[in-house]
Amino acid sequence: MDKKLNAKDLINIGIFTAIYFVVFFATGMTGYIPVMLLALPFLCPLAAGIPFMLFLTRVRKFGMVSIMGIILSLLMMLTGHPWVCLLTGIFFSLAGDLIMKSGGYRKWISLCAGYAVFSQWIVGLMIPLFIMRDTYFASIRSGYGDTYADTLMAITPAWLLGVFIVLAAAGAILGAYLGKAALKKHFKRAGIV
Amino acid sequence: MDTAAPGKNTAARIPLDPRTKLVMLLAVNIVLLGGGFSGISVIIRPMLAFLPFILLLSEKKYGKSVMYFIFIGAALSCEGFLVGRTQGLLNLLLVIFSGLNTRFVPGLVMGYYVVSTTKIAEFIAAMERLHLPQSIIIPFSVMLRFFPTVRAENSAISDAMRMRGIQAGGKRPGALLEYRLVPLLMCTVKIGEELSAAALTRGLGKPVKRTNICSIGFGAADCFFLVVTTCALLLWAVF
Repeated sequence: MDKKLNAKDLINIGIFTAIYFVVFFATGMTGYIPVMLLALPFLCPLAAGIPFMLFLTRVRKFGMVSIMGIILSLLMMLTGHPWVCLLTGIFFSLAGDLIMKSGGYRKWISLCAGYAVFSQWIVGLMIPLFIMRDTYFASIRSGYGDTYADTLMAITPAWLLGVFIVLAAAGAILGAYLGKAALKKHFKRAGIV
Repeated sequence: MDTAAPGKNTAARIPLDPRTKLVMLLAVNIVLLGGGFSGISVIIRPMLAFLPFILLLSEKKYGKSVMYFIFIGAALSCEGFLVGRTQGLLNLLLVIFSGLNTRFVPGLVMGYYVVSTTKIAEFIAAMERLHLPQSIIIPFSVMLRFFPTVRAENSAISDAMRMRGIQAGGKRPGALLEYRLVPLLMCTVKIGEELSAAALTRGLGKPVKRTNICSIGFGAADCFFLVVTTCALLLWAVF
């Protein structure tokens, strides 16, 4: 099989990025309730596991996950997230891509690990919460009022970043299994995979 | 989904370059998501929030633009006047209502404007002018083309579910995911195959330089909007 991405692969990347983004966005909307924000790094990769696993069966070439990550980060930039997310998005998607490549995009363990690494880009979106903490909370306080800022501050101590990373990985692994089950139950039978 | 009908009364509309639209989208999102009602934001935020209203109006989407105007006006005034004067739970609820709407709705409406008024060919032309590589341009334009499709398919799935009396969720939250996502993925995979077949017949992905029928470029309207949004963005960033 051709190793380079051809037009058909690029189109598939576009389609699955769109679906991933829709699922991600729908799940992310629940983050407005302050407590739910904590569950987002877990929920998003979990829900996106099904489309992602199907995506992995459709292309299987190096660059697929990286391009998806780059496009998602560009979209995040366009929708007003800080530019830092572009760097983390590219880094984690490239790393995930390399891990999956080592298993030839077929070995389950490498797919699972790769998806767990790729999903860390969601944590990248939350980095301002921790690294630029002071300025971030000042802007939140002026925009959302004291109650929201205090609630958010109280539930996001600095060590939470580590918890987020673990949660994202756990959500991704569970999502990968969910995706695998869905593939087996539905898509194999329909002859799509 | 009403997309721009090509050829029909395009003369009445403001012809904008896709790049201008992207800059405006970026500005609206940065300023409104950034939030805040201190200093210069008092002027800049409502100004940018009404930008999608003006643009939709120029597209003769009167119903949508008026609805947006009323909605965002209510949310903004709620955020500006009420949030600072309430306490406790009421404050939190108001913050969630007004904050969510003033932050996300303008960006969504702006995104709707950009996607519904720009032909994919124009997008490709603009991205080629920006010298992006093909491996970004193709997935990106496919993705933009695909958002309306996902929405249409999703509502079709809702209809089908309602017709058969299936309610997702309830006892099993996982079922919501399965009932919605699986059919959605089934049909998008099919549509994707058709789309790539169509694109290949038009020579996409061949190592030749493709021509593009769309003439894009910056005109007077572009200059006006670019200057306005850049000024707004700079003022907002500095103060």
